[in-house]
Amino acid sequence: MSGKPNKGPPKDVEKKPKLSKAERRALQEAQRATKAAGGGKGGGGGTAVGPGGKNTTVPGTGDAVATTSPVGLSNDVQEFSHLPPYREKSPADCGLTLSAGAPSGPSPALHPSVLALGLQYADGSVRGANARCKAMMGVFKDVIRDFEPSPGKILSQDLDHTIKSAFQHWTTKCRTHSVSMGSAFSFLKSLVAGLSRDITEKEAKEELTEQIDFYLHERLDFAGKVIASHAGKKIRNGDVILTYGRSSAVETLLRRARDDGKNFRVVVVDGRPLLEGKVFIRALAGHGIPCTYILLSGLSYVMREVSIVFLGAAALMSNGSVLGRAGTATVALAARASNVPVLFGCETYKISNRIQLESITGNELGNPDDVKDTGAGTSALDDWKDAPNLKLLNLLYDLTPSEFVSGIVTEMGILPPSSVAVLIREMNPQ
Amino acid sequence: PPESVDEPAILKELRRHLSPGAGAPPPSDGSTVNVDDTPALPVAAIKCMLHVINHTSSHTMMGLQAELSVAADTLVEFAASSPSDPILGGRSHIALRSGCDLFLRYVTRAFLELPDFDAVVAAIAERGERFARLSVTARDRIARLGAPFVHHGAQVMTHGYSRTVRALFSEAARCGARFEVVVPEGRPDGGGAKAAAAYSEVGVPVRVVLDSAVACAMENVDAVVVGAEGVVENGGVVNKIGTYNMAIAAHAMGVPFYVAAESYKFARMYPLNNGDLVKEMDMDPARMPLDFVDTTKISWNKLHPKDVSETEKSVTLPEEAVINLPDSVTVENHPCDYTPAKYITLLFTDLGVLTPSAVSDELIRLYH
Repeated sequence: MSGKPNKGPPKDVEKKPKLSKAERRALQEAQRATKAAGGGKGGGGGTAVGPGGKNTTVPGTGDAVATTSPVGLSNDVQEFSHLPPYREKSPADCGLTLSAGAPSGPSPALHPSVLALGLQYADGSVRGANARCKAMMGVFKDVIRDFEPSPGKILSQDLDHTIKSAFQHWTTKCRTHSVSMGSAFSFLKSLVAGLSRDITEKEAKEELTEQIDFYLHERLDFAGKVIASHAGKKIRNGDVILTYGRSSAVETLLRRARDDGKNFRVVVVDGRPLLEGKVFIRALAGHGIPCTYILLSGLSYVMREVSIVFLGAAALMSNGSVLGRAGTATVALAARASNVPVLFGCETYKISNRIQLESITGNELGNPDDVKDTGAGTSALDDWKDAPNLKLLNLLYDLTPSEFVSGIVTEMGILPPSSVAVLIREMNPQ
Repeated sequence: PPESVDEPAILKELRRHLSPGAGAPPPSDGSTVNVDDTPALPVAAIKCMLHVINHTSSHTMMGLQAELSVAADTLVEFAASSPSDPILGGRSHIALRSGCDLFLRYVTRAFLELPDFDAVVAAIAERGERFARLSVTARDRIARLGAPFVHHGAQVMTHGYSRTVRALFSEAARCGARFEVVVPEGRPDGGGAKAAAAYSEVGVPVRVVLDSAVACAMENVDAVVVGAEGVVENGGVVNKIGTYNMAIAAHAMGVPFYVAAESYKFARMYPLNNGDLVKEMDMDPARMPLDFVDTTKISWNKLHPKDVSETEKSVTLPEEAVINLPDSVTVENHPCDYTPAKYITLLFTDLGVLTPSAVSDELIRLYH
């Protein structure tokens, strides 16, 4: 360290007072409050960091987004301040305004399908990795179909700007994107970038639409069928299969096993607040599969009878750990403790080249009020926002470490978790 | 057992390739051939497939592929349905299946790469011949890679008779390590006893223990080296029954567990546990009967075999030694078990020394 020039401040400059951690935090919150409440300037851009680790910036135009008053700030859990806080989104927040004439939102004007889907993302009508991805690609097809190229601009760049605006709108104003959406979006971006310069508008639209359909068919639908066929080899007559929440991949494979004539029964474990298992069990029972429904609290009671566990995934990390709906890791852990094999059904397009070791660094915050709303009318926690020492936390995802994963069923076959990195290598030979 | 007259040609071919001495020219002095000269099951399977190729009447790639598929299925079906046929030497059909799958995969690849049917047939035939020779060279490579893991003064435990392990011990002894081998007797086929006879021939002191004594004996063991009938996709191994017990005991006492296996034993199977393996291999208890003998009742069962005269050995078992069970008792006699990857320290293969997770890597590269 000797020999380095002295980089300290000149002696005549007054040093800033040293703040304690709590004081620095309070200062940060106050600054954030003024930013959110004010925003009359054009530069009111915030950054939103999703689980994918991407930084997307709100385009800083005329009116910066006012995401509700700063009253809720002090109710956020400090340990999760690295994640975007949950804010209730009204239709206006999602870009739907009643003003006629020139749009006051970010330019170019967003396609109505984009705004509609954004609202569906924000209020939870469209949930689940596959559903969100399919809906997104469907909307992109609409956008491409109705796209009017501006004269004097290169088609691919113009189109690229349009689709990026749509994606940013969803991610920043409606709901953080999922890994599945991210993969599909990357695919679309590379398609658009790869359009040749002399291609006609009609040809470009046809090609893009065709490729989108092909992607959905191959990486989602067909992959789901192949997964069902691989998984079916592990389902035998008399088996008791346990699953959690609601997964499209697991639903496909269970239906397929039933259609192949196998006799088995299913235990659906469900978790609050979303209770997605209720819809799932209806679908399974409707397909002639005997089912049992329990909440997470009943898990250890049931686990003794279970032969195999099939779970769905939101994303697959490159170290073989699995991101799934909150509660998935608990089920995997309980199964492991009872020596029951745990298989995850996951299409390869959900593979992320991130590594995640726990459930904190990459997650999503949901509505904390959902934690207290049990549907019983009033709750003892109704005035939680006023209680000084009380915070409610609603995490949407959790991470299942690779040690609890017996195998991952992909369209390439059943693989050990250590092979996810190999798949990444094989799929992107660079 | 005599061959039936209407046995498929492919099975006749298999018997021919698995008969003793099939892998080597008969010894000139007329002595009986050592069991070591029988080729490995997958190699014999591949030789059968080569036979199909050389005698095919098909002129299209699809036709030839269909013929090969049928042949492979016949072989595996035979091995699965008659596990006690002596020609199989107590080995399971997994090794046969993996060899066939590997060869079929190679055939498919060749079809995609070469344009002409005759060129493909020639290329496959040549590859098949090379593969047959591979068996011996693979074993040597494994022996050279694995020998340094047998330290001077070590006690090494093994299970069942494996020619690959024999080569490894032989190489280790040749390199100057002085070590002792402990092997459980290997009921019901006495595989451990056969191993003891074979390994002591290469100059290694061997101690035989009861199968039930594995955990006790593990206290003094420094390393475990076993062979494999098949290596499965998650890096686990399928081997003679009792391997799993040994792996658990080794794991509990911190003893490294090594598996010596050629790469053609990498099978496209993914057993989740032993129950899954039993169902997948469809092990039918009726096909593998067991006899129960109280050997303490046999009067010639003395400590040293030299004390027993030839005439005494040839008498049938005394009645009081044989235990008869009523029909209501079910007897399980599974020939093999599945050892999960977490109990395996390293695998010695002709592709190098691999960790269990690298097996899937190799399989993905091979099959995709």
